[in-house]
Amino acid sequence: MASSYSQEWRSVCDTFRNAQTLSDIESRKDPENDPFRSKYKARDLLKEILTVLKSFDTGETEDDDNDAECQTEEPVDGGKGEACGRRCPGDSNAGIRAAKLGVIEYYLGVNHVETEELSAGEEHLMKCMKLLDRCTITQENVSLCIQARNQLGILWAGRDETEKAQGFLETAESIYIRYMKEDGQPPMDLTEFFVGEEDQLSQQERTKRFELAYTHTLYYLAQVYKNLEQFERAGKYCHSTLQRQLELNQFVPLEWAINAATLSQYYITKTRYMEGRHCLAAASVIAGLAGEVPSEAAAQESEIEYEKREQLRQKRAEIARCWIKYCLNLMQDAKKLLEDNIGELDVDRQAELSRVRRNEEEERERERKSTVLFSSSDTFDSICALEDKVSCIFPLDFEEARAVFLVGQNYVGQAKEYFEMDGHVTDHIEILQDHSALFKVLAFFEEDLERRCKMHKRRVDMLEPICKDLNAQYYLLVCRQLQFELAETYYEMMDLKLAVADRQDDLDAHTVKKFNTLCSASMKYYEKFLDTARSPDGKFPDKLEDEVLRPALVAKFRVARLQSKLISASPTVQIENLSRSLEAYRFVVQYCEENPEARPAVETELELSEEMVSLLPIKINRIRAKIAVN
Amino acid sequence: MASVRVAVRVRPMNRREKELSAKCIIEMDGNKTTITNMKMSDGVTGDSLRERTKTFTYDFSYDSGDCKSTNFVSQEKVFKDLGSVVLKAAFEGYNACIFAYGQTGSGKSYTMMGNPGDLGLIPRFCEGLFTRISGMTRADEASFRTEVSYLEIYNERVRDLLRRKSTKTYNLRVREHPKDGPYVEDLSKHLVQNYTDVEELMEAGNINRTTASTGMNDVSSRSHAIFTINFTQAKFDAEMPSETVSKIHLVDLAGSERADATGATGVRLKEGGNINKSLVTLGNVISALADLSQDGGNSNVKKRQVFVPYRDSVLTWLLKDSLGGNSKTIMIATVSPADVNYGETLSTLRYANRAKNIINKPTINEDSNVKLIRELRAEIARLKALLVQGNQIKLLDSPTALSMEEKLHQNEARVLELTKEWCNKWNETQNILKEETLALRKEGIGVVLDSELPHLIGIDDDLLSTGIILYHLKEGRTYVGRDDAATEQDIVLHGLDLESEHCLFENQSGTVTLVPLNQAQCSVNGMQVTEPCQLNQGAVILFGRTNMFRFNHPKEAAKLREKRKSGLLSSLSLSMTDLSKSCENLSTVMLYNPGLFSEKGPIFLRLEFERQQREELEKLEHKRRLIKEMEEKQRSEKAELERMQQEVESQRRESEQVQLRIRHQEESLRRRSHDIESRLRDLLAEKERPGAERQRAARDVQEGTEQGHDMTAKELQEEDKEDAEMSDASEEKKDQDELEREEKPDGTEKIDKQEEGSESDSDDDNDDETEKSLPLSHAPLPPPPAPAESPAQQQLQEEQGEIVRELERLKREREQQALRLRLERRRLEQEERQQVGLVGRLEEQLRERQEATAALLARDDARRLAEERRDLADIRQALPGGPPWRRDRLEHYIRGGGR
Repeated sequence: MASSYSQEWRSVCDTFRNAQTLSDIESRKDPENDPFRSKYKARDLLKEILTVLKSFDTGETEDDDNDAECQTEEPVDGGKGEACGRRCPGDSNAGIRAAKLGVIEYYLGVNHVETEELSAGEEHLMKCMKLLDRCTITQENVSLCIQARNQLGILWAGRDETEKAQGFLETAESIYIRYMKEDGQPPMDLTEFFVGEEDQLSQQERTKRFELAYTHTLYYLAQVYKNLEQFERAGKYCHSTLQRQLELNQFVPLEWAINAATLSQYYITKTRYMEGRHCLAAASVIAGLAGEVPSEAAAQESEIEYEKREQLRQKRAEIARCWIKYCLNLMQDAKKLLEDNIGELDVDRQAELSRVRRNEEEERERERKSTVLFSSSDTFDSICALEDKVSCIFPLDFEEARAVFLVGQNYVGQAKEYFEMDGHVTDHIEILQDHSALFKVLAFFEEDLERRCKMHKRRVDMLEPICKDLNAQYYLLVCRQLQFELAETYYEMMDLKLAVADRQDDLDAHTVKKFNTLCSASMKYYEKFLDTARSPDGKFPDKLEDEVLRPALVAKFRVARLQSKLISASPTVQIENLSRSLEAYRFVVQYCEENPEARPAVETELELSEEMVSLLPIKINRIRAKIAVN
Repeated sequence: MASVRVAVRVRPMNRREKELSAKCIIEMDGNKTTITNMKMSDGVTGDSLRERTKTFTYDFSYDSGDCKSTNFVSQEKVFKDLGSVVLKAAFEGYNACIFAYGQTGSGKSYTMMGNPGDLGLIPRFCEGLFTRISGMTRADEASFRTEVSYLEIYNERVRDLLRRKSTKTYNLRVREHPKDGPYVEDLSKHLVQNYTDVEELMEAGNINRTTASTGMNDVSSRSHAIFTINFTQAKFDAEMPSETVSKIHLVDLAGSERADATGATGVRLKEGGNINKSLVTLGNVISALADLSQDGGNSNVKKRQVFVPYRDSVLTWLLKDSLGGNSKTIMIATVSPADVNYGETLSTLRYANRAKNIINKPTINEDSNVKLIRELRAEIARLKALLVQGNQIKLLDSPTALSMEEKLHQNEARVLELTKEWCNKWNETQNILKEETLALRKEGIGVVLDSELPHLIGIDDDLLSTGIILYHLKEGRTYVGRDDAATEQDIVLHGLDLESEHCLFENQSGTVTLVPLNQAQCSVNGMQVTEPCQLNQGAVILFGRTNMFRFNHPKEAAKLREKRKSGLLSSLSLSMTDLSKSCENLSTVMLYNPGLFSEKGPIFLRLEFERQQREELEKLEHKRRLIKEMEEKQRSEKAELERMQQEVESQRRESEQVQLRIRHQEESLRRRSHDIESRLRDLLAEKERPGAERQRAARDVQEGTEQGHDMTAKELQEEDKEDAEMSDASEEKKDQDELEREEKPDGTEKIDKQEEGSESDSDDDNDDETEKSLPLSHAPLPPPPAPAESPAQQQLQEEQGEIVRELERLKREREQQALRLRLERRRLEQEERQQVGLVGRLEEQLRERQEATAALLARDDARRLAEERRDLADIRQALPGGPPWRRDRLEHYIRGGGR
């Protein structure tokens, strides 16, 4: 490498360094009205280097016989670059020269992509690939091989050619795996071709950069698989990416924590609670590494502190919300397993499941060991400690459910600290809804009807005030959800009161009054919900929007039911209530007659409503007849 | 209300593209947009699976590519299609949002803001807004307050574009207020009075906006800009003050390359910074995973609700009240026509195609209805049972458990109740009749309907018609016609040749005239009438071809009766027989009184009810008789049964007697054989005595035989007696057997005869024996006598031989007798078995018969019960308060006839 000592070579190295600085550092200071100024400058410098390098080539071609041989190669498709017999070794002179040119082409390609000139970028990157394809993969060019493919992967994915991107990225992945198996030496970094020997990187630094390039490959593959809707695979690559970030200590704690917490939600949807819990525990621990939350006073002093405080509090609250969902879903899934066909606790299932559980204990232990863990020695213990605080198996009785509930409730408190009603209306309400849902599912496990009723009362108490405060114009969806939930909760309470009264076998005036109050409250909220479907001038639409169609008809159906449930000693009032009930049933039937497309959404309810429309008049007439007789 | 309308607009080629001599790859046809991949024709990328062209359908496809083309879509047209809708929504009180999306330089800003002299959507919208406001203010319909704000989001930071002093223009915080919705803290709001104000503010803001030159676009929006109009209307709505607030967001997004930063598209991969450790989009991917995996799969399965911490979403966050709920949203996707932008254009088109998905769907998580549904089904079943039962007798769990008398009582009670109920109803009817100058009275078993007003009675020639229709002809005019007549007809009829307005009756102080209309077919007493015709009592009127009526005029009739008394009237009207005929079938009589009491319930004639009731009582009486008869029958059957049982019993006793006798006989036979044996033994003993003694012995024997003879005679006598008894028994047996079938009647006799025969034989033998016992007694035992023996000896020998023969015969006889005995026993046993079997069969038959009768009784019961039920149902139906379908029909009739 005689040229490397030459003056000319030194200037090439300088130019390269300048280009790097411009591209990576200066560009960030570019004015908004000329955002690519430094990038464009860097591009010019890179082009300059390319010209010089090519002139070196022509100067040296006479001495090098291999060159001609190498140039006959046709570029191999980015996907599957199979070794071709006439390749020259990557560490030969020709190979190194190709790598140098390739690096410049690579940077030019990246530069064009970054300045939104994708086609030009693609051209440069393909030139780089062409150069590399003539050589075998060695320590010198392996990093470039991977990074060029990473870039092409991004580029093609940006053009919606996901399969093409997948080809490049999967090749990059296999190159890495093969290299690590066959060689494993820390490879040269791209920049090292254009620095003096004194500036060569340490082995450690080489490894770090190389591994990072590969982490990116995995990261891009995760995105590609997601876009290809291979969610299982995408999840695996996300998990691996996170794990490598942690292992290589290349992560931003808060960002990493949020990603891990989000991944837990993915696992929850797959009912993989053990993995979900692991992600959450890791998220909580890693978020703790992000540092102390600046005090309020400090935040008022400086914008930066304020930002930091906001960020930390928000992210931690978000992780808490992920925990809430974990607890909630765990309990809800357990409920699904335990409930009978009318949603009550099935004692037989309970016994059976606890038997199954005893048998599976060992198996689970084995499974646990096979799970990919976020292992970094210093955090591992704290992650485990956090995991031990909540179970990852389905609670089967009230005690177990209560333990999960309490953990969830604790996180509700944490999340609400940041997501206050003032300023975070939607988030705050979502947390309250979760809290309510936690109570609801806990009530399922509670055997005592009175206590169960009290749990529902807690739900009402937390939801009712905010429902009143909320402006439906801006929070229509939230309002509807709250109204519906309140209506259902009152309904549930009414049902429970009735069951309790049934057991006591006497219906005193107080109980009747209570019962009727609950009925009316439930109806009130269903009506409120129905009112939201009205136009601003109070007209009920002839045709309901798809998203409220079923809820609205169900609300009517339930109102009909509630009207007929009201208890009254007076036949006149009875007739009044039943007539209202009939009216509501009739509404459902008529709506479906006028809008037959609504039928499938409320099949059962419609069938029952039709029956009631034909039968209720008889009941009413009987009462009328009784009145007439008296 | 939430809805998104999506439009795509293509711009003309720009200078740069023209320089590159780019080809146009966008084609529009109606609301369809087609993009062509030029590269594919070149065969550069030979993916056969991909189409060269792709077509998308939007709400609108706007071709603004060539301003000289006839298809050119102007700014005006875009506003008319999209802006006016939003404007209307705003005045109705909805939130609205218009935003543009597209690649840098694809014409977003042109569409939204436009150029001076070629205004875009926003200025036009504002102009429309203020025109309408000033119009309504002038008319004093409402008062308005309009505030605007203008902000931009650049790198996820919010900046106020209208803040005049740049104290803190960057990084405003986006917050939510429970009452006021999402808002930007410290964002300046500016009250505007007219479009000029808005224009000034917009211009000022645009100057502040972050734009930049890039290689791709000379002037490029680097940020999202949101121009918000807060628009409050105050007016009186039915005397009540009302205030509606609408928020209208007009959004100019940054180039689609950057819009990705909002996470809105999610298509692109994000580059991981090589220096920065952050992998920005990993979070997006994971978020999307968590989101998507709950969408997939069965939609029936309740989704798991998870929390996905989205990031980089200031824009979506700020617009969330517009991207869902009660708001109108319009999105315009702008694209370049040039082939060089194929990738970006396609991506924009795809995003626009999915744009409807950005709307937040309200997910109402409803509880399952299972419990409610179960309850309701139970209630429905209960009500249905009620319906089936009506007011009938409650079905008992087991009808047989209740005695007939009890049921009868119930029925009677029920009838009583029904009668009471009916009486109440009847009283009502009575009242109506009273009010309406109608009266019913009974005459014998007949019923007379009296009406003081002239009326028509329908004579229906349909044999299946059972009602009588009475139309009153009130003072003044009564119109007859079809229900499709232009004016409402008092009497609505249908039938052949019946005109929609057929005729009218005019009742003027008691004189009724029929006035045919429009040449309609009317005949009176068989005579076609075309002119007004006065009607007399008893006239038969035919409208068209099928509607026949009899005209009654009570007052006139009264006069006529008077006359008849005095012999002035020779014959009464024509068609009384017809009327009476139809009266025979009368089961329900309905009165129609046009115009007078259309709202009142149907009237039932007393006759009918009384008749029905009488019938019912008769039926009940009949049933009571039936029940009695049945009980009697049952009693006699039971007696018969007992008799049969007794018979069986006696037979059993008889057979026992027979057995006993058989045993006796056996005994005697055994005795006799003993006797014979003992005698044989004696004989043998005698034979062994010495010769001297033999003589004596012979004498003795003679004496003995004489004695023995006596004895045997005695025995014989006895035996005869026995035999007689035997035959008696067999005779009895015969009697016994006679009951069932011929029972080998001679069998026993034959055997008896045989017995007799054999016994008489044996008697003979015995005689022989006694006769020959003497020589026999001398006879020595073999060996046979030698030839040299003396004649005495020979004689002795002879005697001896005789004795031996005799002995042998006796032995044979004994054997025979034993055989006979065995036979006899077997026969008797067989007989006994047969008899026992017979008795069993008899018993079985009896049981069967008993069961059959019981079943018969039960079936009768059930049938009778069903009958009763049916009868009662009939009564119910006849009652006015009966099942609703009946009443519906009546109401229908009334409505039809009683206008």
